[in-house]
Amino acid sequence: MAASRIDIVATRLIAGGAAMLASSVLADSGLEHYRGSFANPTMVLPLGSAALSIAVNARRSGKPESGGSEAPTISHVASTAVGLIGLGFHVYNVTKRPGGLTFTNLFYGAPVGAPASLVLSGMLGGIADRLSKGEEELGPIGLTSGRAVGGVVSVGILGTVGEAALLHFRGAYHDPFMWLPVTLPPIAAISLGRDVIEDTVRPATTVLLAATAVVGILGVGFHAYGVARNMGGFRNWRQNILAGPPIPAPPAFTGLAIAGLGALLLMKARR
Amino acid sequence: MPSEFQAEPRAINGRAPDVFTPDGWVPMRGHADDKEVDFLIVGTGAGGGTLACKLAEAGFSVVAMDAGPYWRPLQDFASDETEQQKLYWTDERIVDGDNPITMGANNSGKSVGGSTVHFAMVSLRMRPEHFATRTKLGYGVDWPICWEEMWKYYDEVEKTLKIAGPVRYPWGPKRGRYPMRAHPMNAAAEYLARGAEALGIDWTETPIATLSAPHGKAHPCVYRGFCVTGCSTNAKQSVLVSWLPRALKAGAEIRDLSMVGRIETKNGRCTGVHYVREGEWRFQRARHVVVAGYAIETPRLLLNSASDAFPDGLANSSGLVGKNLMVQLNQAAWGQVADEVRSYKGPPSLAISEHWNYADMGKDYFGGWSYMSQGPLPISWAKTLAGGHGLWGQALIDEMARNNHSVGLKMVGEVLPDERNRVTLADETDQYGLRIPRITFSHSENDKAMMNHAVDFMDRSLAATGATERWKEMSDTCHLNGTARMGNDPATSVVDADCRSWDIPNLWVCDGSVFPTVGGVNPSLTIQAVACRTADRIKALAARGEL
Ligand SMILES: Cc1cc2nc3c(=O)[nH]c(=O)nc-3n(C[C@H](O)[C@H](O)[C@H](O)COP(=O)(O)OP(=O)(O)OC[C@H]3O[C@@H](n4cnc5c(N)ncnc54)[C@H](O)[C@@H]3O)c2cc1C
Ligand code: SF4
Repeated sequence: MAASRIDIVATRLIAGGAAMLASSVLADSGLEHYRGSFANPTMVLPLGSAALSIAVNARRSGKPESGGSEAPTISHVASTAVGLIGLGFHVYNVTKRPGGLTFTNLFYGAPVGAPASLVLSGMLGGIADRLSKGEEELGPIGLTSGRAVGGVVSVGILGTVGEAALLHFRGAYHDPFMWLPVTLPPIAAISLGRDVIEDTVRPATTVLLAATAVVGILGVGFHAYGVARNMGGFRNWRQNILAGPPIPAPPAFTGLAIAGLGALLLMKARR
Repeated sequence: MPSEFQAEPRAINGRAPDVFTPDGWVPMRGHADDKEVDFLIVGTGAGGGTLACKLAEAGFSVVAMDAGPYWRPLQDFASDETEQQKLYWTDERIVDGDNPITMGANNSGKSVGGSTVHFAMVSLRMRPEHFATRTKLGYGVDWPICWEEMWKYYDEVEKTLKIAGPVRYPWGPKRGRYPMRAHPMNAAAEYLARGAEALGIDWTETPIATLSAPHGKAHPCVYRGFCVTGCSTNAKQSVLVSWLPRALKAGAEIRDLSMVGRIETKNGRCTGVHYVREGEWRFQRARHVVVAGYAIETPRLLLNSASDAFPDGLANSSGLVGKNLMVQLNQAAWGQVADEVRSYKGPPSLAISEHWNYADMGKDYFGGWSYMSQGPLPISWAKTLAGGHGLWGQALIDEMARNNHSVGLKMVGEVLPDERNRVTLADETDQYGLRIPRITFSHSENDKAMMNHAVDFMDRSLAATGATERWKEMSDTCHLNGTARMGNDPATSVVDADCRSWDIPNLWVCDGSVFPTVGGVNPSLTIQAVACRTADRIKALAARGEL
């Protein structure tokens, strides 16, 4: 079946979102694992798989109808697997600290949410891949209705909100704008989740997802300001980029929201 | 030797240094010597600085004098232990008794902001029962203020200082959330935690007065660990960067490099103070005088102000000025571990156990103590090894080379009030011609029993974490308090619960001197809470026309 124009745009958005998410993971894990001096050699894995994921998803987003090679599939499986393994390592890193599962260990141990982003990027990339090849199902799950993607995005946004909520709590919400990513995106995620369950598309969801995408971009600016407030500001960037809030983290919201808009297109088209 | 430090006053001609900008200034209201100000405060540390802010904000005219300089930490503080000796009060003093106290670095500062400029930032609340040890626990004396009231003021101080503390505090009544989250623990703190877990007692991240997130123009902590030599990032919420900028904004005048030598009295009331600035003795008129010079200088000034009407010194009808000096015990256990600890990284005391402040069973002594992880800087570590461990020559050099693997725990222990421990005046005089203090101190049997228990316990904690070559440092002391105690009875105390002297209605004492007992926690949070309460009481008394 030849893909409709809408399907093509949706595939672009989903792959583009996955690429954005992978970019956030690459930059963030690059910085954080550099700070951790790559103490464990496996700490390079997310960098490799995120880089690959950016490449294949960007290509897919640019040329949604190029079918073919096995490379994308390998990349998406690798992202998902590396993300899951990372999740295990990060949970271990947190719980082995004195006190175990305490707030301080969650604040300063390896972030549990970060590898999950890589899993999400792998899943979204995999779905975009199949859609572009005209495959309508993944096992028992139908893909073309957009509901599966919508579900992944909704859960993904909620997870990212959890991570932002934890880390902004660590920062004691010292700036009122720190409330933004823990108030707006959850509403978007819930609205999207409701649309997925009821198989309807509310106009509000589109607006909320677009706003979430914007929040992710604004976050980069806010985090840069946060870095500047450390001793020495950007003159001391080599230390402060690591000490301040992670500049590459907020666009994870943008990536997810863009993929969510792709899901809405598919859902609309099937109605 | 430290470099030639600031010799000229900076807070003059209508402006004071802006602590948040290199070479910056903020406007400051000036007061003429011959104009009677509402409150003249001697000392701008934990007690005086806090009170200056609160009284100025309440609309009183305030002049606060400090013998020390007005620093701008961003440009004046070096990451150098020797240079930073410029922060300590090192004027001549005589120490005696069975256990003469080492004065200077570890207990007294001479700067605008007082000792908090180089304090270790540990910000603890006293256990509720420790405000009424006589009735609740059978020793010491009761405070004239109930713990519920003190805890209300702790809230205020913690909010102001943006204390970074744990989400849940394991001991005592429920408290509100700390304004900022705890800092990450360094390896030294993890050793405390693992030891406490092995011995089956609670531990937690220490609530400390350094920012874990930016606040205004102050940067968050950078974890380099120069805290006890002064913090050059302004992360540390000393009085200098927290209360005093507010005080200036509210119209207070801070007079740096101004040493008060004598309080003048006439017809049973204070009329002002004699002070030296720029080599010249001057007289500032005042309606009220507040002494907040720390537990040694406060009684010294009161005693040095003796007159025909008050031959034993001011506020001294009870004979208690200078008596009941309480030092806090600061013994430690140290050891060596296989992994690199680098305990000097980050603020020195990031983990704490207050278990033995709250547990009353299993003790053969009165009083409480807490213990914290440690992070001595190199010179102070060398002094500890030489003085406390008896190492010298090659042995000292070898031990210093293993510094990255040293780990230790140190107590803050309660000493009970004892009139034989006291500050009196020696016949010798200082550079201003003022009689210097003689500080007499001897440990009691109770102190010794507490030290032994604490050091053994800390040693067991280290052993449980695999530390070897362990040794005990038995000689150290820290914070001083208690030489002008507050109480309900003029016969047994120097000031009342409002810090107002019983003898002279317009003379007040507002610093660590007023503590009837000290508990097993570092005192600065309590001193600031008392100052906040005093300000509220002064407002209330003024409103009733009772000032
Ligand atoms: C190294 C160190 C670490 C510490 N760590 C902690 C900690 O972690 N937690 C904690 O709670 N406490 C700590 N403390 C203790 C705490 O700093 C003091 O208890 C507290 O600052 C005392 O407050 P104060 O108002 O009594 O006196 P100070 O803060 O010492 O202020 C007194 C001021 O008065 C001035 N002054 C005295 N006499 C005169 C005079 N005649 N004329 C003019 N000025 C005068 C002095 O120059 C000084 O600036 C520490 C202290 C030191 C030295
Ligand atoms: S470790 Fe933090 S509080 Fe201590 S001196 Fe450095 S910045 Fe200041």
